Amino acid sequence: MTSLVEFSAVSKTYGGIPALTDVSLTIEAGAVHAILGENGAGKSTLMKLLAGVITPNGGTIKVDGVERHFATPRDATALGIVCMFQELSLMPHLTVRDNLLLGDGGPMLRLIRGAAVKAVRASLDSVGGSHIGLSSLVSELPLADRQLVEIAKAIHRRPRLLILDEATAALTAERVETVFAVIRKLRDEGCAILFISHRMYEIDAVADRVSVFRNGRHVETFAAGTRNRDEMIGLMVGQPLTELFPPRVAGPAMSVAPLLSGRGLSWERGLDAVDFDVRPGEIIGLGGLDGQGQQYLMHAVFGVLKGVQGTLTLDGKPLGGVTPRRAKAPGVDIALVPEDRKTEGLILDMSIGENLSLAGLSRKPYGLTKAAGPADVAVARLTERLEIKLKSLDDPVKVLSGGNQQKVVLAKWLALSPRCLLLMDPTRGIDVRTKAQIYRLLQELAGEGLAIILQSTDYEELIHLCHRIYVFYRGRVVREMSGDEVTPDALIAAALNAHSNTAST
Amino acid sequence: MSTTSSSTTGTGRMASWGVDRSVVILLVASVVVLAGAALESPGVLSVNYLLQQLQIAAIVGILATGAMLVILLGQIDLSVPLTITGTAILATSLAGSGNPTLAFIAIPAGLAGGLLIGAVNGLGVAIFRIPAMVWTLAVNAMLLGITVFYTSGAKPAGAPPSLMVFLARERTVGIPNAFLLWLVVGALVLFMLRRTVFGNYIYALGQSPRALFLAGAPVERIIVGVFALAGLLSSLGGLLLVGYANQAYQGMGDSYLMPVIAAVVLGGTSIFGGSGNYSGTFMGAIFITLLASVLSLMQVPDALRQMVFGGIILAMLLIDRARRTP
Repeated sequence: MTSLVEFSAVSKTYGGIPALTDVSLTIEAGAVHAILGENGAGKSTLMKLLAGVITPNGGTIKVDGVERHFATPRDATALGIVCMFQELSLMPHLTVRDNLLLGDGGPMLRLIRGAAVKAVRASLDSVGGSHIGLSSLVSELPLADRQLVEIAKAIHRRPRLLILDEATAALTAERVETVFAVIRKLRDEGCAILFISHRMYEIDAVADRVSVFRNGRHVETFAAGTRNRDEMIGLMVGQPLTELFPPRVAGPAMSVAPLLSGRGLSWERGLDAVDFDVRPGEIIGLGGLDGQGQQYLMHAVFGVLKGVQGTLTLDGKPLGGVTPRRAKAPGVDIALVPEDRKTEGLILDMSIGENLSLAGLSRKPYGLTKAAGPADVAVARLTERLEIKLKSLDDPVKVLSGGNQQKVVLAKWLALSPRCLLLMDPTRGIDVRTKAQIYRLLQELAGEGLAIILQSTDYEELIHLCHRIYVFYRGRVVREMSGDEVTPDALIAAALNAHSNTAST
Repeated sequence: MSTTSSSTTGTGRMASWGVDRSVVILLVASVVVLAGAALESPGVLSVNYLLQQLQIAAIVGILATGAMLVILLGQIDLSVPLTITGTAILATSLAGSGNPTLAFIAIPAGLAGGLLIGAVNGLGVAIFRIPAMVWTLAVNAMLLGITVFYTSGAKPAGAPPSLMVFLARERTVGIPNAFLLWLVVGALVLFMLRRTVFGNYIYALGQSPRALFLAGAPVERIIVGVFALAGLLSSLGGLLLVGYANQAYQGMGDSYLMPVIAAVVLGGTSIFGGSGNYSGTFMGAIFITLLASVLSLMQVPDALRQMVFGGIILAMLLIDRARRTP
């Protein structure tokens, strides 16, 4: 086997936060190379580097032994590197044929001839899409068919390196087998395939080599079959950082009445009959693979989504017609720390002070900003309690570090003395010290009787902080775990098993 | 320009200097324009000419105040021309109807008309989520149709409400009433922007509607409120124009859209929303008025003047963009 792509000491940081650190990796022609890792381990960054979407901060990437600097995806495509991203990249309002022709890399100005159309048809048939009409609009196809079209589009470009990033997530086991046949055929023709999947059994079925990534570092590469699943999961999770987490505090008894409950919460685009309860003083976790509906549940509870079915109950009384404004109103007192700090949690160009007071503005007497409301006193106290490091409240909030920015978001909401705090991935991209501070704070707050719902892509966070965990898959809660059941392996297995169980039904 | 100091007391919201930079630049530019014009016709330096400019600037300034509020949201109101014309025709028709009751409500009705048009603009943008650029343009076209239908294309009958004539044409202790009215309106808006929660919301909404919504603010109400307020201010400007011109006529608002937007963006308000000072808009309105007056003094045709305003807007947009992408 010959090496097609060689990474040496490649690093990539986003605004000072490392996404990939010192990665060296060889991808060989004629092999299926699986990449394993938790969310945030650096897999997507690796793909984007290869596809020319981003450029590395350090290290070199060699293709065919020649050092390359991809400035744009076009450069990568020219070398035969074709990437199928996790997010579907088809044009929904074009036909299947047009979408496939769009990607074939030929000159832009030319006539579409019968031969080209035949070639497109053949590509689509080869991935098992013979039932899909070329003239159907992509927007009218079911998700699984769209994914087939996506794969056909990638194959149609005759790649030398094909990157499949969660390419089969929407396919059933039977369809996956067809796609695997295509992958094996491509491999035997000498194509290199980089395969990213969360489904262990898919990796067992198709991979020749496996590389494990953790926290942006390449941990180990080994031939498929030399490690069992437990060992692989162990490599993915790594050693738990015990000192990072405060000792677990027992949650409230199950007999305590829930503060907030949801029953049969459904939303057309990603929630399916979800039930949950959270008691005062309890931290519940929403786990599972990324994007399985955890975020939607948070948004549904905070009233961000329109058209949510099912009922919410607060203090045993039904809570209807929730909007963020109503959710934070006195008497309801729900707060949400959103997923994206920079666009949702903060207004970056505004000052720290303005951001801190934003949620509390609605409680100002007479609608005057100069009038001191009860929230202002709380803000001052919280700035101290959270140890927010700032020079002046008048500085723009964007000058703060990520960790301090997140503390601002937390303080902004805690100033309203909420009874239920919804946290969406609150420690993403935050340094370890601040993480530890936030963990301690959350436990203290729970101890003071706050009900906390924590959604996180970090398994350890859920394991060490939460009293109970709901594991999500495709908009449903597939498992509820509590107490000693919660171990890293069990949690990952729950998320992954859920995957394989549902896929094979 | 001694009068401008009253508006620059509020320090720049985003500026690091004590006084907003665009205010200083506009002040210098105004002096340069005046000095240049004085070489041709020294009459421009007379007190009377300058006071007359303030009188006209007041109309532009009140219109620009409304436009600024909308632009702070990151939106735009293109229905300004027909809001002016429509409410002007409404008020003059009522005032000249011969019925004392109708004449009495002429001004309130005109203002209410502006408020209503603004609310319709706001509802389209906030509830139906139509881009303001398209929605307000359509509202403008509908209003044009209504006014043409009502007047049958002829010069509308009616009389200007006498209060508006007093406000637009008379002077109190030598200062044009229109300018005094502008100072009052400006002070109220300045207070609203700086000292009220609503004002904070306007800036925050312009910066990040998403973050503000997730902070639990009534985003839709803010949008409707701002557009309604802008409609009200447009109609107030229209009524002043009625008093100034002693009549309402078809097309009277047409030449105001460009100078008004130019005044706002020249004053340093970002067309992308979320930042801008009222002092800038204030000086912007004065500068634009001076520029227009001097251009017409030099017998520059209206077509060319519109091109100048358009050019100013384009230049300011490019500067704004350059500032945003360092």
